[in-house]
Amino acid sequence: MSTQTYRDSDTVDFVIVGSGAAGGVVARELAQAGLTVVLMEQGPRFSPRAARHDELGVWYLGGITNDAVKNPQTFRDDAAKKAERQTFKPALWYGRGVGGGSLHYTANFWRFHEIDFIERSVLGAIPGTGFADWPIAYADLEPYYTRVEWEIGVSGLAGANPFDPPRSKPYPMPPLPVKSSGVLFERGARKLGWHPVPAPMAINSQPYRGRSACVHCGFCHGFACEVRAKASTLTTVIPEAEATGRCELRSESYVFRIETSTEGRATGVTYFDRDRRERFQRARGVVVCANGAETPRLLLMSESNAFPHGLANSSGLVGKYLMFNYSGRATGVFEHELNEYKSVQVTRVLHDFYDSDPKRGYYGGGGLDARIGPQPTTWAIRTDVGEPSWGSAYKARLREFPRTMQVSCHSTSLPLESNNVTLDPELEDAWGLPAIRVTYRDHPDDLATVRFLQDRGEEILHEAGALRVTQAAVAPQTASVHLLGTCRMGNDPATSVIDRYHRSHDVRNLFVCDGSSLVTSGRGQPTMTIQALAFRAGEHIARFAKRGEI
Amino acid sequence: MESASLSRRTLLQAIAATIATAGLPLGWAQIAEAMDDTHAVGQPGSAAKISFLSAGEAADIEAVAAQIIPSDDSPGAREAGVVYFIDRALATFFSQLAGDYRTQVAAFQAGYRERHPAAASFASLTSEQQIEHLNRIDQTPFFTTTRLLTLLGMFSLPAYGGNHDDTGWKLIGFEDRHVFNPPFGYYDRDYPGFVIDPPKTR
Repeated sequence: MSTQTYRDSDTVDFVIVGSGAAGGVVARELAQAGLTVVLMEQGPRFSPRAARHDELGVWYLGGITNDAVKNPQTFRDDAAKKAERQTFKPALWYGRGVGGGSLHYTANFWRFHEIDFIERSVLGAIPGTGFADWPIAYADLEPYYTRVEWEIGVSGLAGANPFDPPRSKPYPMPPLPVKSSGVLFERGARKLGWHPVPAPMAINSQPYRGRSACVHCGFCHGFACEVRAKASTLTTVIPEAEATGRCELRSESYVFRIETSTEGRATGVTYFDRDRRERFQRARGVVVCANGAETPRLLLMSESNAFPHGLANSSGLVGKYLMFNYSGRATGVFEHELNEYKSVQVTRVLHDFYDSDPKRGYYGGGGLDARIGPQPTTWAIRTDVGEPSWGSAYKARLREFPRTMQVSCHSTSLPLESNNVTLDPELEDAWGLPAIRVTYRDHPDDLATVRFLQDRGEEILHEAGALRVTQAAVAPQTASVHLLGTCRMGNDPATSVIDRYHRSHDVRNLFVCDGSSLVTSGRGQPTMTIQALAFRAGEHIARFAKRGEI
Repeated sequence: MESASLSRRTLLQAIAATIATAGLPLGWAQIAEAMDDTHAVGQPGSAAKISFLSAGEAADIEAVAAQIIPSDDSPGAREAGVVYFIDRALATFFSQLAGDYRTQVAAFQAGYRERHPAAASFASLTSEQQIEHLNRIDQTPFFTTTRLLTLLGMFSLPAYGGNHDDTGWKLIGFEDRHVFNPPFGYYDRDYPGFVIDPPKTR
């Protein structure tokens, strides 16, 4: 597919590190603006064969993600402890291939609300946290949310959700067909006077921009889509970037250092190619879109005499304020079959509890949705509070699989300096590079919010007529797929890593755009906002480059 | 229910039938390969045998697995061949777990022998004795790992060595297919369509 190729000695306009949800979008925006681009990706370019329905191979053995053997990580919940190596699965889990997390995400694509960007001003400070306003408002991002919906492809129903922020255009595709979980969720929530609405999903409900409609196979969550109905950057913007003739996608190219000149400018990136040869790609500018785990790691690994604490880290905040969101659940068993393993995960969502309510006595809010949760193996492995985990009673519970659904509870995470990504002082990955060390413990308000939302989920399931309702245990998290906040944007170089245009405060020709840019966590479902930021960042970076302002 | 290893011809027929409605793009020959799950994983050995674990370890692990998902009026972990999956996993794709797990198995064996000195093996205890013992140790690393491996062996693609004859999928009523059409379940059959509910509060 890649036609254009560059030599390492060519000075391209931009190297982009990471071809995921953000990197793919930025590559297309820069290439279509007439700039030359090399798009670097750690992982391979997968064929549709990688989308096989193989829970063990894809979910547990790192088929399309980082894995615990080649890309090991350590985890601790307290900086006073020694971090332990994660032997089964990494703590921070990300798509490792062209398309990144957009390969294996669920594709829940609701927009952040106006409140997300100004929450600190509205609610006031929260002591001991880095709770802050964003340097941009929802209105700044609205045009780019619309571009995501139309240029990536989102199915949904505009005007359905009374809590939605203003929008300039409807969705380009109608919602996907409702599932039994959606019908029951809607029934239960309406009895309670709440507002369930069709879920906005980055999955085609009808053929769109050369990609097929969903065939309802049920393997979205954690898997790539074999029919390209779920929008990944691999199947949407990256081919469009390549079609410009100015973008080279370089897969299996593992960038481990951003080089800088004595003047403090980025000069290019050093990387391992697929044969593990060390190479250097020269560039006029560097955009890091490597995700909220790998982006801070790369900046920290790029330390030098001029940048002794890591590149772009004069604030000391690179890697800090890691936010996971939380995904809680209430589970209901019904009389008849739902067969939730079929089709997309989510067909109904509810935002009645999105805003933080001071009357609850703690910070936090969230969105609820109806779904099965994971595929059979993972569904069988986990249990709710009070449920049997082995034996005859457990076997009986397994048989209820087709009659089971859950209300998922997606919630806020407060930004804490003590939650962070650092370089492990001992452990190395398969390339001899420092492994990611994760330190994380949910704030008590975050856990209180999940408990509140799970109780609302339980109410919905009871009202919908569930025979039995249970909840998951709410406990501090030790792993996540949402990797947010680790290079936050802001106006003040002392309290943020990048400015409102994603330019690092410290290095004029170094930009960062991915989940690390987020100032607050939203209520889960961050990819939609990451991609809106990427469209906006791409537009501004192209403008700077053309004006000679990098 | 359709088998996990659908024939290639069936797959192509299913795809052909779907093209008209879903507008499948070019490249569906590759998609057919994705749908042929066993292609990527390899065929299960016809004669399942234990090669990594000792006979004594395998017998005890199988007995524990058979208590996690018992065989009653329907097949359980034993019929699914979970122990063959575990044996293969420890030798190959989960080899990083093997060292710790062997130590855990030894601790488990020492534990039940202490309480049942006359027992030749855990497998030789009565079911009631096994359950009684497992209730005491079901929070140990041995049990947690055995449970995880048992469930992976129960529900993973049969090509990995467990889930014989789709035993796990039949138990839970899961169909491994690549195309479904609505209605998907009982409750979405007569759904009248979404009606926007005017907001009562904001």
